[in-house]
Amino acid sequence: MGVDMQGLSVSIGGTAIVHDVDLHIDDGERVGLVGASGSGKSMIAKAALGLLPLDARAQGAVRLGDTQVIGADERTLADLRGRYVGAVFQNPGSSLNPVLRVIDQIELPLRLHYDLSAGERRERAMAMLHKVGLDDALARAWPHQLSGGQQQRVGIATALVTSPRCIIADEPTTALDSITQRQIVDLLVSLVDDAGAAMLFITHDFAVLSRATTRCYVLDCGTMVDSGRTADLLRHPGTPQTAALVEAARELTLRKEER
Amino acid sequence: MANDDIVNGGIADDDRTSRPRTQGLPSDGDSAASRPRWRGLSRSGWGWSHAAQSEPASDNAPIPSGHPRSLRPLRRIAIILRSMWRHGEGRFALIVLACWLIVALVSLVWTPYPLLVTDGYHVWNGPSAQHWLGTDGTGADVLSWLMAGSRTNLLIVIAVVAVTAAFGLLLVAAMVSRRSALASVSVVAVDALISVPTVLIALILAVPLGASIMVVVLACGFGYGLNLARVARPQAMLAARSAYVESARANGAGGWRVLVGHIVPNIMPVLLVQLSLSAGTAVLAESGLTYLGIGVPSGVPSWGHSLATSVKFINVFPLTVLWPGLLVTVVVVALNIFGDVLRDAADPLTNPELRGDHGR
Repeated sequence: MGVDMQGLSVSIGGTAIVHDVDLHIDDGERVGLVGASGSGKSMIAKAALGLLPLDARAQGAVRLGDTQVIGADERTLADLRGRYVGAVFQNPGSSLNPVLRVIDQIELPLRLHYDLSAGERRERAMAMLHKVGLDDALARAWPHQLSGGQQQRVGIATALVTSPRCIIADEPTTALDSITQRQIVDLLVSLVDDAGAAMLFITHDFAVLSRATTRCYVLDCGTMVDSGRTADLLRHPGTPQTAALVEAARELTLRKEER
Repeated sequence: MANDDIVNGGIADDDRTSRPRTQGLPSDGDSAASRPRWRGLSRSGWGWSHAAQSEPASDNAPIPSGHPRSLRPLRRIAIILRSMWRHGEGRFALIVLACWLIVALVSLVWTPYPLLVTDGYHVWNGPSAQHWLGTDGTGADVLSWLMAGSRTNLLIVIAVVAVTAAFGLLLVAAMVSRRSALASVSVVAVDALISVPTVLIALILAVPLGASIMVVVLACGFGYGLNLARVARPQAMLAARSAYVESARANGAGGWRVLVGHIVPNIMPVLLVQLSLSAGTAVLAESGLTYLGIGVPSGVPSWGHSLATSVKFINVFPLTVLWPGLLVTVVVVALNIFGDVLRDAADPLTNPELRGDHGR
């Protein structure tokens, strides 16, 4: 299921946060959205999920598959979320409900959207748990007993357990160390590709982006400044903003290699 | 990539070894044949190449049935009660409340004397072999009346807690609503209404209802519900604006789902303490309101009734007042302690036993 944004603008209390953004993701395509902190990346993710704060004003068109998200009623959106669109969030520790066990967490979207018996649901969630590389023993763990990487694996399992057609990953690796980052990106990419789902991967880090996506958009201060194939942008940044992001990624990677 | 093994213990390893299982699967053609029966999933009408991959997991690793779900409600309650029993004050609260429950049940079928049997020759008697706690001004057996009263009070306390919880949570829901107009109006309304004394509300309610149990239940439920909402609001707010609630919403959970499934469990400690305080205060309020003549109607046994009928003679016959007074005090203390201990015992963060046996 593709995502299509036309002229999306978001403002909160008169302050424009996202300005006239066009973004398109084809079925099964992995597309990145890169930009510095505060450039409005997360707002775009929220707009795609229909989760904008109530005091935000959104204009333009956001289509998920055939559904127009902006202006859709809560019911339509709730049916869409978790079933056709999955979301992976930045901070794995706080995105997991502290009073739900890992396995109940993963079952949540199934419980919300599908009429399965408890046994089928458990079976399905356990299968997903194995697929993200966690073992049986962790099913009964509480979120605080897991490491950051394991928590994000649970987040990914929750997002993918219903086999959504589109994944929106909002800085899924930002809170993780660089080695875990790579594992999580690889895991996410392999699962998304297996499922044949589309993915919008949001990050500020070109190094991660080049691993996760084929094509990307560069966002600066709420405006789209650049777009193209990730590899091309990495080699020949078209705009100063892109160049700065690429430079930052290079420097960080370099420092890692020096160690 | 060799570095990967360092992090997360064996996880990196797991990841790679699990890949042949998940990825090496033949795609669509085969998967259609091995597609698991997913009533709901097949409904969507999309290809389920992904769903089909759950097969290998169930092939080579049969899920140990019951393993992940072994902490079911009954065992949970058993663990919580055991942890409460281990503390001295928890034991006190549990014993008092258990006695209350048992006496209330027993009083349904048996009291030492029938309630309406009076002995005009022995009024205001002290404790004796015939009347363990003495007799009151009509010569009726004090113990029998207190036993019968315990079930009225139990009923009132349960009803008050239920009304408080329902009304309080409704207010909490409004106060943490994403609709800022509703949220601010309800906050102001709660702050304003909380200044109205419960007794005044009871007096107003008594006009249409007369002296009745309903007056106690509604007045207390209203007053304590406001209190509960105000005390629980900050925590509920934190939960409502948390990343896990946003994540639940991103998974398709609607307003009530979020409230019941994600916010309430996370503010449970506050709720438990507030509700047990309400239960204790309800016992006191019953006595107070009955004394004022707008609580339990005369003729219906209750602790407040026993107090109210004997309190006028406290200077002459103090013992008759002592028993219900002592009873109310002990029960209120037990209820308050109960909430405190329950909070500690029921919270997985403070009670390691609830977390199960694995952890790091």
